[in-house]
Amino acid sequence: MQPRASLALAPTLARPRTTDPENTSTAAPDGATMLPIIEAHEVTKRYQLGRTSVEALRGVTMAVEAGEFVALMGPSGSGKSTLLQLLGGLDRPTSGRVVFEGRDISRLSDSKATRLRRERTGFVFQAFNLIPLLSVEENIALPFAIGGQPGTRRDWNDRVRQVIELVELQGKERHRPDQLSQGEQQRVAVARALVTRPSVLLADEPTGNLDYTNSGELLDALWRSCQEEGQTIVLVTHDARAAAYADRVLVIGDGRISDEIVLGRRADHSAAPLIARLAQIGL
Amino acid sequence: MAIDRLAWRTLAARPLRSLLTVVGVALGVGVLAASLTLGAALDAAIDRTVSTMVGRADLRVSAFLEPGLSPEAIGTIVETPGVLEAAAVIERRTFLASVPGSPAPDAVTVLGVDPLTYPSLHDLPIAAGSGLTDPDEPVALITESLAESDGYGLGSRLSVLGPGGPLGVRVVGIVPGAGPLPQVGRTVILPIDTARAALAISGATRVDLLLEPGSAEAVLASLAARMAEPYVLASPADLARSLRASAAAFEGMAALVAAVVLFVGAFLIVNTLSMTVGERAREVGLLRAAGATRGQASRFVLSGALLLGVSGSLAGVLAGGVLAVLLAAGVSSATGLPAVVTPVDLRSAAIAAAVGVAVTVMAAIEPALRAAQISPVEALRARIDLPHISRGRLGWIGLVFIVVGGLALLAWPPSVAPAGGDVQAALAVYLVLLAATLLSPFLLRPLARLLGLPLAVFVAVEERLARGSVGRDRSRAALTLGSLVVGLAMIVALGWSAQAARASAFAWLDDVVPGDELISSIRPIAADEGIVETLAAVPGVERVTPIGTFGLAYRGQRVDAAAIVGADFLADGRLTVLAGERAAALRALDEGGAAILPSAAATALGLGLDDTMRVATGRDQFLDLRVVAIVERSLPGGGGEAVLVGWPDAAASLGVAGADAFAVRIAPAALEPTRDAVRRTAATFALESNPIERVQGAVAEALARVFGVFDALAFVAVIIAALGIVNTLTMGVVERVREIGVLRAIGMTRVQVMRMVVVESTVLGVVGVVLGGATGLAVGAVLLGLGARFDGATGLPWPALGAAAILGLVLPALAALYPSLLAARVSIVRALRFE
Ligand SMILES: Nc1ncnc2c1ncn2[C@@H]1O[C@H](COP(=O)(O)OP(=O)(O)O)[C@@H](O)[C@H]1O
Ligand SMILES: [Mg+2]
Repeated sequence: MQPRASLALAPTLARPRTTDPENTSTAAPDGATMLPIIEAHEVTKRYQLGRTSVEALRGVTMAVEAGEFVALMGPSGSGKSTLLQLLGGLDRPTSGRVVFEGRDISRLSDSKATRLRRERTGFVFQAFNLIPLLSVEENIALPFAIGGQPGTRRDWNDRVRQVIELVELQGKERHRPDQLSQGEQQRVAVARALVTRPSVLLADEPTGNLDYTNSGELLDALWRSCQEEGQTIVLVTHDARAAAYADRVLVIGDGRISDEIVLGRRADHSAAPLIARLAQIGL
Repeated sequence: MAIDRLAWRTLAARPLRSLLTVVGVALGVGVLAASLTLGAALDAAIDRTVSTMVGRADLRVSAFLEPGLSPEAIGTIVETPGVLEAAAVIERRTFLASVPGSPAPDAVTVLGVDPLTYPSLHDLPIAAGSGLTDPDEPVALITESLAESDGYGLGSRLSVLGPGGPLGVRVVGIVPGAGPLPQVGRTVILPIDTARAALAISGATRVDLLLEPGSAEAVLASLAARMAEPYVLASPADLARSLRASAAAFEGMAALVAAVVLFVGAFLIVNTLSMTVGERAREVGLLRAAGATRGQASRFVLSGALLLGVSGSLAGVLAGGVLAVLLAAGVSSATGLPAVVTPVDLRSAAIAAAVGVAVTVMAAIEPALRAAQISPVEALRARIDLPHISRGRLGWIGLVFIVVGGLALLAWPPSVAPAGGDVQAALAVYLVLLAATLLSPFLLRPLARLLGLPLAVFVAVEERLARGSVGRDRSRAALTLGSLVVGLAMIVALGWSAQAARASAFAWLDDVVPGDELISSIRPIAADEGIVETLAAVPGVERVTPIGTFGLAYRGQRVDAAAIVGADFLADGRLTVLAGERAAALRALDEGGAAILPSAAATALGLGLDDTMRVATGRDQFLDLRVVAIVERSLPGGGGEAVLVGWPDAAASLGVAGADAFAVRIAPAALEPTRDAVRRTAATFALESNPIERVQGAVAEALARVFGVFDALAFVAVIIAALGIVNTLTMGVVERVREIGVLRAIGMTRVQVMRMVVVESTVLGVVGVVLGGATGLAVGAVLLGLGARFDGATGLPWPALGAAAILGLVLPALAALYPSLLAARVSIVRALRFE
């Protein structure tokens, strides 16, 4: 929590397109004419715990545009996961609006929210993403099987093969989750999230349980999908190295967006500029 | 103490599962308590029946012939050395004159007793008024039930009708309840000389004797040597033995079913406690880290088990009392005894409760040992490696059940055998069930895969996910599926036994009755009344044969007998001859001096082919019958199968006045129209004609009543199995909350999640039906005497298999209701929180 920094950056929040003074490259591949895929307007979330309640979010306003790779950073308990869940329709905000592809999803019924998750979003969590009794292939094809997605079985198989290549898991199609390393398991989760070509991929600390090498491989996979397939990604992380893959970093503190750092698309993923900025705002 | 409280709180934290387990224990204990209570009630009823029938008498000598025992015969009996006390009694059915204008009342039984000798052998309590004092006063005692039904009271005047003319008596006393003849109830007790006058009898119909201790053999021999007229002997021991014989088969089967129910109940307990250990592994580990000993970790489980066992057993004892009352009616009609159930039979309740607690604690041993093995390090892991432990556990479960089975066999009611078999059959049944249970987890996966195929067509994802989840935990699957298999197997096995019993009863009738229609008469119809000729003249009738049932006195025993026309049986092809020459034997009957014995009677009487059976026919008169054939089964008589004799002997020497049944064989070509014609012709003689199928129907009904009781008990086992399924499915949902969260997050609907649980339950049910059906056939084969009765007539028990299939599909679907709702209500956000 850095009141000084939030004050300094408050005016920029309404216009997420601000460029970073230290980095002059383009912010997004498609220019500034695209409509945002997700917008949050003054979103709050209160959890009731018996008699007491926790205000996880206290008024978040933000937007993510098509093709953008956005990282959400912040200390533990600051509300990152909560925000991500609201953006993906896993839960409803207490107040405020979440607009997904122009449609308000903050009051969706369970079945409509389920459709949204099934067709428009993909999730990756920190751990336990996979169904242990299904093979890698079956886990990845699960959204097709569940959703009765359009297309033939052949299309599905082609797409499954494609995402397996994307996450570089060729040859492990028939393995069970418990026969894979944690890093491989997480890449399977990414593949499953991508298999339906969702509008946005939402990942909640996907590298939280991984070592250095495995984290790198997972982030490379995410970045490839962004770069090659134009995948929109929102990544929650507290690791600066992970956040450095993003085009833009939103810092969340005390239930609000407190800072925004624009990095732009860069092939080297160098964390140095981001770390410098974070140090500047005291994180 | 703190450990105990923690254990109890753990159970309270999962109220549904604890409740299900308590209900499971309660049902098991309840069925056991009910079965023991019924057994005790049957014993008590037998003792009561015997003692009201013979009182303190050691021997009863009854007249065989209609006129009763003569005064000389009574003298002979009384003077037999070894007889201490003798009470002559008259027992005869007759009527009371009705009040003019009111409908004719039902028959009463007159009991003539000697007020001087009767009380020394029989109690005769008086509810109101006074007792009898003089042997020839014109007074009477009546039973309370007669007083109530016919409106008599103290001071009423009765007019007893009889060969001695109407005789007026005054009611001076009322005997409580149904009185000294409980099966009759409507009894008028007269001084013996008054009864003699009314019924024109000079002697008595029986004499009850009190003997010097140890003199029974000598008395019997002396009677056999000195008695000049036919008589029948009965002792309380004989009576009790014959009554017990009918009760024993029933008690044995009830005990077997109760054991099976308890076995299934024990599954539920092991299952619940295992789940508790799995769930509480972390807490137990933390306890260990905080310094708790292994013993305390075990105590954590045992203490919970004890609580479950005690509360379940208490509830079970109550449930058992209710169940016993509900089943009592079925029991009395199954055994022919008035089983008045004492709902609180303390001994039965105590045994059942003790067994319940013991089984619970035994079932807890394995989970308790497992709890002791949890290390503080393991506690820090999220979940304990289940597959690694389950292999050992399965062996343990097998061991526990083998021990439980062994104890059950030790406690097996003595002299009691299931369905005519013996303890070996019970052991074989137990082993078949145990084997099926222990094999079921290994068969579950392949069978689930195969039987899930049709489901996969409609609900592919749900089927795939359910199938994987179904066999994840082997021991849990063994217990859940095992109890379902055992319950359904019992339904199939009992159904098959019932079907076989029915088929063999039908086959018996077909084998011995030479007709398609059976005409019966309550009075004997003499040959000169022309009925046979008239019926035979009906077009389409092939043969009419008269049958007269009666009793023979042979060595102081009453033997059921039937008079038949041998030539008719020969022509009709009835009777399966085991020894002797069929045609010659049947012809010999018609010539006289011959008898055909059913094999059961031959064995009981110790008679073989060509032996001579000397039957008493009157004072100093005998008839010698040569045994010309032994048949497998013969016509049903009053109590057992009848000895067959020819009409010439029956009419001339054995006092059979006429036929009481006619078997009519009809040409198959015109069966139905001829049946109608036969019935109309019979009606002109005021006789009723019934198809042989109706007789079979009555047999089937009696069997259905007996097996209905067993089915009810087996059904309880299936209910317990369903509780186990609820338990296991719920546990599966709780354990997979995170998986369900992920599935919902990637777009699975609530309905799909519910369907996944229902499909899992259905797959369990379908596999249960297949394995339960197969196991049931194996158990049935054991009960039916290992293939001895596998004839074409029996066939496979399709109705029972159908019933098992319906139960096996419907109950699991119902059991899935709660767990599937639980799964649908899983909050995605909470399920996915990573702690
Ligand atoms: N389902 C929930 N019920 C109650 N409190 C919750 C729940 N989810 C999150 N919280 C609380 O909300 C706050 C924000 O949580 P979260 O969004 O998980 O933070 P982060 O992901 O940034 O660590 C925390 O104080 C957390 O305890
Ligand atoms: Mg979080």
